[in-house]
Amino acid sequence: MFSYVFMKILETRPRSYDRNINRASLGKIRAIKRQIANQATPGSKVLEIGCGTGELAGMLVAAGCNVEGFDLSPSMVGAARERIKSEGLGDSFTVHNAGVDSMDIFADRSYDTVVSTLVFSEMSDDERRYALANAYRVLSPGGKIIIADEVSPRSGVLRFLHSMTRAPALLGTYLVTSATTRPLDDIAGELTAAGFVVGKYARSQGDSFAVVVAVKPAGDKNDEPA
Amino acid sequence: MMSLLKTIWGLLFRLFPCPAPTGLREIGHPGPQSPVLVTCNFDLTIKRLKKALEGLDVWLLVAQSGGVNVWCAAGGDEFNTHSVVSAIKTSGIGRKVTHRTIILPPLSGPGVSIAAVRKATKWNARWGPVRAEDIRRYIKTGFRRDEGMRRVTYTLTERLDTALGSLFPFYLLGGALFALFDPSLLVNYLLVATAAFLFFFLALDSIPGERGIVKAGYVALALLVTLAITEFYHPNGSPYRSSLIIAVVMIFVYGSELGGLAPHLPSDLDPFLARLGVGAVGNVAFAGTVRTELLNGYRELTYDHEICEGCRNCFEICPQGVWRMGEDSKRAILADRDKCTACRACLLQCQSGAIQAKKRDRNEPAGNSYIYL
Repeated sequence: MFSYVFMKILETRPRSYDRNINRASLGKIRAIKRQIANQATPGSKVLEIGCGTGELAGMLVAAGCNVEGFDLSPSMVGAARERIKSEGLGDSFTVHNAGVDSMDIFADRSYDTVVSTLVFSEMSDDERRYALANAYRVLSPGGKIIIADEVSPRSGVLRFLHSMTRAPALLGTYLVTSATTRPLDDIAGELTAAGFVVGKYARSQGDSFAVVVAVKPAGDKNDEPA
Repeated sequence: MMSLLKTIWGLLFRLFPCPAPTGLREIGHPGPQSPVLVTCNFDLTIKRLKKALEGLDVWLLVAQSGGVNVWCAAGGDEFNTHSVVSAIKTSGIGRKVTHRTIILPPLSGPGVSIAAVRKATKWNARWGPVRAEDIRRYIKTGFRRDEGMRRVTYTLTERLDTALGSLFPFYLLGGALFALFDPSLLVNYLLVATAAFLFFFLALDSIPGERGIVKAGYVALALLVTLAITEFYHPNGSPYRSSLIIAVVMIFVYGSELGGLAPHLPSDLDPFLARLGVGAVGNVAFAGTVRTELLNGYRELTYDHEICEGCRNCFEICPQGVWRMGEDSKRAILADRDKCTACRACLLQCQSGAIQAKKRDRNEPAGNSYIYL
């Protein structure tokens, strides 16, 4: 949906970001986050790439997980810290002000799950490769990565319609924030290249949104990033 | 084809972003010892760099700048420390070369902190030359910078280049408005505006006044005198009246915003908007920023000789030559404050904190700060 492009504008207002991005996505993004949280294993350790205001992290903590998250935007991290206080998340959710390029700070830690919603579409090719390599490294064998993001529809017609509906939003957003997002072309391929085994791949919203679950094979000794 | 269109777009719509993919590019056949140059992801910049680097074997690391050129993006915090750190760490350049040194474009000085890049990546960073055509000489002479490589110029070609890139969108907009509301004035508009602006850009330094807006005032005065003379000879209404009025208006539009057009003049519009209390338009901030407060005289560039550690960064980075090194070469000297355009590069790069932008007591006389309406 074109509405995800507006994310870059909404990000400049962290306090209302969750409410507005949810509204722009017609309530879908919160539903997807809830679905991810519902499927989480209580007691598991989760790393969230680009945790934003910590909405998903809060849901994961409520589901019994221990979450560590990071976000590049200082104001988003500020909003997440406010959430920790107001929702009493305490030690169950820690947040860092860091970009994907700082993922090596987590190198000596180990997680059961890595999650990321609406973040990979903001990254460059190199950043995605780096993020996936580092996610692979920090996941324990058998651990999974869940990515929910905008993707390019598979059929040419849908892809054309998708880019047409996106175009005006793209221009407007670019003029306001000089930043934008790019739907993912082949996230499954990128996950495979990083060593993951792609499992569930659920597409929705005119084939333009996907929730991908991939697993780090158990017993894999190769801990080096690809 | 797409690449050619992008080049034309980049030339004519210089004021708009034109992003190219970020990441590592090979120029020639670079090896493990080859230099690593960093640049922004403005399409036209990358093309011009590639042309200037033809025949050399170097790595070109394109970092995220929002598709904007190095200087503008650094000034607007789009090309910043994180852009460079991210490019170094995620591009895998560390596996391609055995050394650990990047060469940064010095006009990235207002946004990319050389110390912070070093701290975050353990890579050493050094400043290259301002202009791409000097890179070859810079590399051949063992990465030595001479005075010409440190400072910006405003040559005839550069003037025509900026005049073209900054005029075109306005021609299009103005042309469309005239075509819509009064097509008979369209030709007048294009001819007069072109003549007036070429004159304004080419003769900029010869026009009296130190500020763009003052210079614009002089040009406007000359045009108004011309108007009066033509009115005198044409008692029934001068045929040049509308054209000259168009030219006066456009001269003021450009004269007030030379910050992004002429390299040695700061913006007049930004501090004026800040005075009006305009916080931001889009993601460009005005009121309350160090830059506009320096320009408005709310802050003042100060330098503490005692604290200075002689890191040379201010001297190396200032594109205007505001700083000099003392004769013992151990400390900097604030040599020519009047040349400062408040780009903030020295503030960001100063390692000891000797350079500050201190809040000024507003009851004091304005001193060296700029005075606005």
